[in-house]
Amino acid sequence: MIGYVCKYTPVELLSALSADPVRVEPHVASFNEADAYMHPNVCSYAKAVLEDIDSRGYEGIVFTTCCDSIRRLHDTCKVLYPEKFVYLLDLPRKVDDASVMLFARRIEDLLQRYRQFSGHEFNRSCLIDLLVSQHAGKMRQKGAGQRAAERPRVGVVGARYSAEISRILNDNGVDVSFDITCLGAQRTVGMSYEQLEALDDHALITCYARALLEQLPCMRMDDVATRDAFLEQQAKRVDGIVYHTMKFCDIYSYEYAFIHSRFDIPVLKIETDVTAQSSGQIRTRVEAFAETLKTARGIASAAAPVNRKPGEKMYVLGIDSGSTSTNAAVLDESRNLVASRVIRTGARATSSAERVVQEVLDEAGIAREDVSLIVSTGYGRVSVDFADLDVTEISCHGKGAWYFNPEVRTILDIGGQDSKAIRLDENGEVADFAMNDKCAAGTGRFLEAMARTLEVGIEELGPLSQRSERHVEISSMCTVFAESEVISLIANDTDKADIAHGVHEAIAGKACSLLRRVKPEPVYMMTGGVAKNLGVVEAVEAALGEALYICDEPEIVGAVGAALIGLESLEGAQE
Amino acid sequence: MDVARTYGSYVGQALEKNPDRANALIRFGLHAESYRTGHFPDAQSPNAHQYLRHMAMKEVADVLGKPGQFAWTNIFAPVEILQCFDIKCISMECLASYLSGFWIEDRLIDACETAGFASTMCSYHKTFLGACEAGLVPKPLCGITTSTICDCNTNTFRYLRKHEGLPTRLIDIPHVWSPEGEEYVVAQLREMVSWLEGLSGTRFDEDQLRQVLVRENESKAHYLSFLEKRRTHAYPEALIMRLFMLFATHLSIGSEWALEFFRMLDSEIDAQPLDTSKRLFWVHIVPYAQPTLNEYLNYNENLTVVADDFNLDFVEQLDVGRPLHALARKMICNIYNGDFSRKIDAVSRYVQHYECDGVVEFCHWGCKQSCGGVQLLKRQMSELGVPMLALDGDAIDRRSGQEGQVKTRFEAFLELLDATGEGQACA
Repeated sequence: MIGYVCKYTPVELLSALSADPVRVEPHVASFNEADAYMHPNVCSYAKAVLEDIDSRGYEGIVFTTCCDSIRRLHDTCKVLYPEKFVYLLDLPRKVDDASVMLFARRIEDLLQRYRQFSGHEFNRSCLIDLLVSQHAGKMRQKGAGQRAAERPRVGVVGARYSAEISRILNDNGVDVSFDITCLGAQRTVGMSYEQLEALDDHALITCYARALLEQLPCMRMDDVATRDAFLEQQAKRVDGIVYHTMKFCDIYSYEYAFIHSRFDIPVLKIETDVTAQSSGQIRTRVEAFAETLKTARGIASAAAPVNRKPGEKMYVLGIDSGSTSTNAAVLDESRNLVASRVIRTGARATSSAERVVQEVLDEAGIAREDVSLIVSTGYGRVSVDFADLDVTEISCHGKGAWYFNPEVRTILDIGGQDSKAIRLDENGEVADFAMNDKCAAGTGRFLEAMARTLEVGIEELGPLSQRSERHVEISSMCTVFAESEVISLIANDTDKADIAHGVHEAIAGKACSLLRRVKPEPVYMMTGGVAKNLGVVEAVEAALGEALYICDEPEIVGAVGAALIGLESLEGAQE
Repeated sequence: MDVARTYGSYVGQALEKNPDRANALIRFGLHAESYRTGHFPDAQSPNAHQYLRHMAMKEVADVLGKPGQFAWTNIFAPVEILQCFDIKCISMECLASYLSGFWIEDRLIDACETAGFASTMCSYHKTFLGACEAGLVPKPLCGITTSTICDCNTNTFRYLRKHEGLPTRLIDIPHVWSPEGEEYVVAQLREMVSWLEGLSGTRFDEDQLRQVLVRENESKAHYLSFLEKRRTHAYPEALIMRLFMLFATHLSIGSEWALEFFRMLDSEIDAQPLDTSKRLFWVHIVPYAQPTLNEYLNYNENLTVVADDFNLDFVEQLDVGRPLHALARKMICNIYNGDFSRKIDAVSRYVQHYECDGVVEFCHWGCKQSCGGVQLLKRQMSELGVPMLALDGDAIDRRSGQEGQVKTRFEAFLELLDATGEGQACA
């Protein structure tokens, strides 16, 4: 079994050499080994391959000179695995007659080297068979039947998009219309078996080299005009674009910037690092994106069960199960907020949800069976097993914000472990959203860490910062580095009030950067626990040059939104 | 430094309201610095370095004032050919460094990230792209880059082509040398020459290119001669000169002034005293704004950087009889191209030949080709018994300087050097 990592790899040739080529799709828990041999700032995929290479029993890996991280991965593997077939295929960046000739020679070298390594013979007919059947397959695909017309569809761009994202999209009723990520191979030789059979070996390999190079180019190639044209054409046919990238893979961000500035369609940006830890964030983002696309197409969520006797007043309960707080709200059928509750999330999301439900029901003076529907949202939404419906916090914050103030167009939600920017259209529907990367920078956790370092309570940070008289800059937004920066400031006798103010300005800078990603418009609203910190609110207002609308209890906006979605769902079912 | 910071704050304010005004302020600042280095040079600095610093300032100040008469390049581009068309070359990394000199890199990097570019990207490219987004970058005649290293290169030049309408060329450099690979590059150079003839309206003269290569060979011979003498002699310098040297060894190599600089360097060292310092070899770029490194490595007779790999990335003499083939070979056989083992071999040779006591590699934020190989280099240095320090940081974004970490790591390294050496104290 030979692993490969790039769509330009001559996989068919490796098959014709009985090398059993397998696309390397690593699943790792950490980068402990890889960080020791490479560096933490190398692309996560490259590091994951290094972690994975031994456990999968590859006899070797064929790399291409596709990017700097992969080149260094090859160098490292060559040293670590001298007994394996570690080969670097030099991939031209240009596509013309000269580069095809050069690439063909390099493929011939790979062929010879692998024959020497394995003792396998090259089966020419097998290669021709594979090339011809691929061509036929592509033709069949073109004429294939169309998807169900009502399902929204997206295109996927970027680097190394995983099967998991594809599955979540599919589970949420979204079709993938095209995949032009760096592993989406699409070569075709455009010749019949007989025509290929008539060629000598060198001509056959040259023809194959051309087919490999003439695929829709990836972003490391010099000329990507055909890729741009493809996107221009497809952008009119899809409802949205999913851009996936790996931590420390930068090449595709040029395309993301291009798409973001060029097309007026929703774009979901997802950054992962191959480890399983990021799956919660991915699910929230992909599901919220699917909800946005379906709303834009006018497809309502599935109607939820109605749990009400005729003549009785209807109540709907929303629960927002967050990392720091668990919040609940009860609305009646006239959309009156009957009761709300905010409690700290304990070690188990389920028991916190049980507790908050009991407390909010007590406050509302109703029993569990009086509630027609329970809708959960937030990180722990799927853990709330007694909920009838779960919806992402993106949609819920949109709905909740609109409930408190229909003038709101842009929401900044800073929660315990993530922050979000959400833009609403004139009907209060989510038009675009962005979330922070997998990192605590600019979140409630960051503030907690800073408060701990300053030895003050989290609730004291706001008032403390308002006493600041001198500007202090906290330059690093990494929680770990900012913590050491704060420690240095304390060591230099800097006033705590000035440090707290610096911390809030750093958060505000990060928040504004997130807001700009959704092309924000006034009126602005801030939600989440951090909205209670006046220091942060003032810093964001100053950085934004706009006032922030904040409701009386900014932590219940998501729960209210969830209850509203529940009400709409019931109304839909009754109609 | 405070003057630069204050001036930079004016540039930053202008940038938000009027990019043209910010541009004018930057040009004025560079001219003022060019005048200052020409008339009131740093007294601690040897004459050759005074001259180099002045010329590096003057080149950039002159070029930015003449849009349409220069080229954006990378550090490995065949600048010798552009000299034959009287086109000056400025690398985008170089412009980014100068912008950082005005203390505005933070705003530009933020602008770049807001436009959607990855925060994990090289901050030289982020600064440059942010400057483009802010309308701060003057339009040159063209852009020429190579595929040698750096994932951002191909993409940033394509961005210039798409967004700024700039004519650009990428020279695709094979990973290893082969006769057909060399011909592949020569064919691209020939095509580039006729493209430049069309752009500039000037005929290419191969004899003129030969003269440039003759000067380049002479320059390198002087530099290697200087380094031979440097094995025993001291030569006082500031750390930032490693960056200015890139003008002489890359962007302006083959020019009259670069040759003059190398002549001065080679002759000036003869009068220098014997070197008694701890001797370091530097790998990859130097961060010019890191307080600890400047404190220890500027004009310190007890601790010096003898040489660095960037300024020694290709030292062979060029075949003047076949100038385009010579340039093709130069680009393919550069130690930054090819497997990392090529670079490891070169660094090992240099460290031993120039009798260095230790090696420092600076892992610049976003530069995967450099940090990705750092452990391999460390293994080799360990086998040679040469202490090596890997420093993580950002060469131009002051916010990511990690000064506390750099200070601890660097000072611990110096203690290690002292312990392994013969008791000579470092600074």
